[in-house]
Amino acid sequence: MKKMKQLGLLLLFIWPQFVLANVIEVTLHYVGPTDGQIWAGVQQGLTEANLQGQFLGQNYAVQATTIDELKTIPTEQVTAILLATDANTVLDVAGLQQFAQTPVFNLASAANELREACLGNVLNIPLSEQMKQDAIAQWQVKNEDTPVHAQGWHEDFVKFAASQLNTRFTRNHQSKMDDDAWAGWAAIKMLSDSVARTQNTDGDAMLKFLKNDLSFDGQKGYTATFRNSGQLRQIVLLVDEDNNIVAEAPLRGVAGGLDSLGLVSCR
Amino acid sequence: MKLKYALLTSLLISCSTLWAEPSNRVFISNEKDDTVSVIDLKTNEVVSTIDIGERPRGIGLSPDQTQLYVAISEEDAIAVVDVATLGIIKKLQSGDDPETFDVAPNGHIYLSNEDDAQASVIDTKTGDIIEVIPVGIEPEGVAVSPDGSLVMVTSESTNMIHVIDTAQHKVVKNILVAARPRGLAFSSDGSLAYASSEVGNEVAIIDTKTLSIIKHSAIDVPNSKPMDIAVSPDDKTIYVTTGRGNSVAVMDAKTLELKANVPVGKRVWGVDITRDGQFLYTADGVSSTVSVVDTSSLKTIKTIDVGKFPWGVVIDD
Repeated sequence: MKKMKQLGLLLLFIWPQFVLANVIEVTLHYVGPTDGQIWAGVQQGLTEANLQGQFLGQNYAVQATTIDELKTIPTEQVTAILLATDANTVLDVAGLQQFAQTPVFNLASAANELREACLGNVLNIPLSEQMKQDAIAQWQVKNEDTPVHAQGWHEDFVKFAASQLNTRFTRNHQSKMDDDAWAGWAAIKMLSDSVARTQNTDGDAMLKFLKNDLSFDGQKGYTATFRNSGQLRQIVLLVDEDNNIVAEAPLRGVAGGLDSLGLVSCR
Repeated sequence: MKLKYALLTSLLISCSTLWAEPSNRVFISNEKDDTVSVIDLKTNEVVSTIDIGERPRGIGLSPDQTQLYVAISEEDAIAVVDVATLGIIKKLQSGDDPETFDVAPNGHIYLSNEDDAQASVIDTKTGDIIEVIPVGIEPEGVAVSPDGSLVMVTSESTNMIHVIDTAQHKVVKNILVAARPRGLAFSSDGSLAYASSEVGNEVAIIDTKTLSIIKHSAIDVPNSKPMDIAVSPDDKTIYVTTGRGNSVAVMDAKTLELKANVPVGKRVWGVDITRDGQFLYTADGVSSTVSVVDTSSLKTIKTIDVGKFPWGVVIDD
């Protein structure tokens, strides 16, 4: 009886530690400015990732680093690399042998070259220049007198629960969500959701999951997936000169849906 | 012997006063014109419209069906309506931005506070919020198990179903499901729960003993974004509204096989089923209509104009 009691006590003390010991620690590596909108978006994503992780047993951190430091980190310690840099830096990092199977996120560059390069480990969150041009061209077929520009996100976007995301971003960061902030948020959010589903933090497993099995809710409609080019499929918002959202591309009736925007396949 | 009769009679009388006769009406919350439409079940005509408060969404009945509850999101309150007179009795404080709720057998309201990542519990007798339970981001669907022991809450932006034990008001399990979980419903014996995922376009079946997913399946309907779920009284069929799919998907409750797809109005959201399982009433958001679906013929037999952007449906039968 006494032994049972002891065992019970032992279990009582060990159990909570056992549960805590099961928490997956995830560190995501980031290179770029640690102020401004991309960083604010990353922080918003991190807050939400940890809110989910608190229920499911993951703990996330974003480590801001430099390209030089990044090169010294062993492959197995890197789940994903987030780059708020120019296109050339993205190409350089993606070309490093040690990160050949690691997801390298482009959070900032719209350069078509990054998509045309069709690198297996690059994941482009922002719209490419080509996607923007295609969206504007779709609009101009019927509305040539109303000039518009193309955006990936807008502070007044309401549909698909976009308004809820706008509300909580502004509440936490005292600024309005834009393309940059959304890119930072979306990258962290899809990474955390993937870790929760796979329970695996290896870079190569993460890259495979993101490219093949992702079904991400970016709060802008449709389930977001990546093309072979590494570009995230997504709708494009068309905004007039008075900063009003006037349409979403793909426009109704345009063949190809989301793949009517930008480079679709790699040669 | 006479005493027994007297006791029985008094019991019957007290029961009939406690359990009022159902009004045989359908109540619809109209999100964009701040009203509740009241439809007569026999004639399928709108017989009354209640000015309810700002942005009505979630809607439900007290266990004795004498009171109608409507979440008025912009007023951070639940409006309480006398089902017999259709007058507003009071407004209960609900915490920030109440969206969906369910009523437990003991009369407590469990609701999701969308902007605050929490679920609140209201004691409808005192009007007090007796518990606030942290959940994931953008909590949406809420369902109380038939015996009142469990409550499930979906969090849309963190893709979970949170299972709350009502005895201790604690989250006892978090179940990861497909993207943007929305609606929840229990089978009549409470052994199974059903959850829809809007962006993932899936329905999942959860075993409420093991609290794990035993089956999940996509809905093969064009543009389907599943929302609300109704379970047939015989537990054989589930009816899932498909949002932009503009239909009700009729699925086998065990296999999730799609048995039929019944077109209704545009952007269909809420659904409820009559006690006999014969009719479904759907809230068709963009069409501003309610569709009446006959579950035998699997056809929409009537389309009723209601207020702007009908959101939720509850039947008092």
